[in-house]
Amino acid sequence: MDRMQDQGDKLDALFAEYRMACPDPEPGADFMPAMWKRIEARRVATVSVFRHWAQVCVMATVALTLLIGAVLIPRLQDNAASSSSYLEALSAEHSGDYIHMLAGGPR
Amino acid sequence: MLVEFELIERARSGDDGAFNQIVQAYRKRILGTISRTIGRPEDVEDVGQEVFLRLYYSLDQLRTPEVFEPWLYRLTVNAAYDYLRRQRRRQESRMSDLSEQQVMLADAAAGGKRRDEEQRRTKIRELAQSLLGQVSEEDRILLTLKEVEGLSLKELEKIYKVNENALKVRLFRARQRVLKAFGAKENSEAVSKAGFGSVDDSE
Repeated sequence: MDRMQDQGDKLDALFAEYRMACPDPEPGADFMPAMWKRIEARRVATVSVFRHWAQVCVMATVALTLLIGAVLIPRLQDNAASSSSYLEALSAEHSGDYIHMLAGGPR
Repeated sequence: MLVEFELIERARSGDDGAFNQIVQAYRKRILGTISRTIGRPEDVEDVGQEVFLRLYYSLDQLRTPEVFEPWLYRLTVNAAYDYLRRQRRRQESRMSDLSEQQVMLADAAAGGKRRDEEQRRTKIRELAQSLLGQVSEEDRILLTLKEVEGLSLKELEKIYKVNENALKVRLFRARQRVLKAFGAKENSEAVSKAGFGSVDDSE
């Protein structure tokens, strides 16, 4: 137990000596300019990433618009032109019913 | 606090001049902490700049100026940890590089006494760093902040956002590992020359 205490004290002394053996270093003359350069570089990199993503989004939007314009709209228009309206289809299906009713046909 | 709260508020609102003043006030202290934590003098400024870069881009997340210092230490801890993790594989060569570099510095020092003192300091630095190298990067930083930087458990609690008891357990385990390594090295030449323990060359 004493030996452990002794070693603990020696370790504390070593750490204290280590603190003194490594004083706070004086920053070099280039410290501040280099730091601002890194801040600026990060800012530029962030902006260019946003710009890149913005370009990707714009291109995707344009491509989607062209797809809709070239493929989907003509297809929808074709369907609308060829198919008859609901009322026309309904009357075509039940056109015989009226004749049966007039003739007192089957019930 | 080394700066006024008002200066921190100004920096938070985007005043680069205020930020510059904060860096000038804290840079020496932060470089010192990094130096004792990573143990590689030539990379201290690089890591220090990384700390202030992170501070610049995270200052708007700071809730109140009162917690500025723990916040700055937290960034320092994270940057030092990232550095140590990057250097993990090169640890062996790092220690030998450090010795050579510091011996060269010692050689350059004028005067016999001064040179002896520098050599003694070099031995202490090497010994302390090799002992701290026995634990994980996280524990090394934690132990350095507590034992070398002299931060209290309360301060560490604010930095790590972990409760005091968890920190005590972690510190105790890390210290035990360092003590074990210290016991093993106690009789080595480095210890005896640095003035710790008895002189015994047997191994």
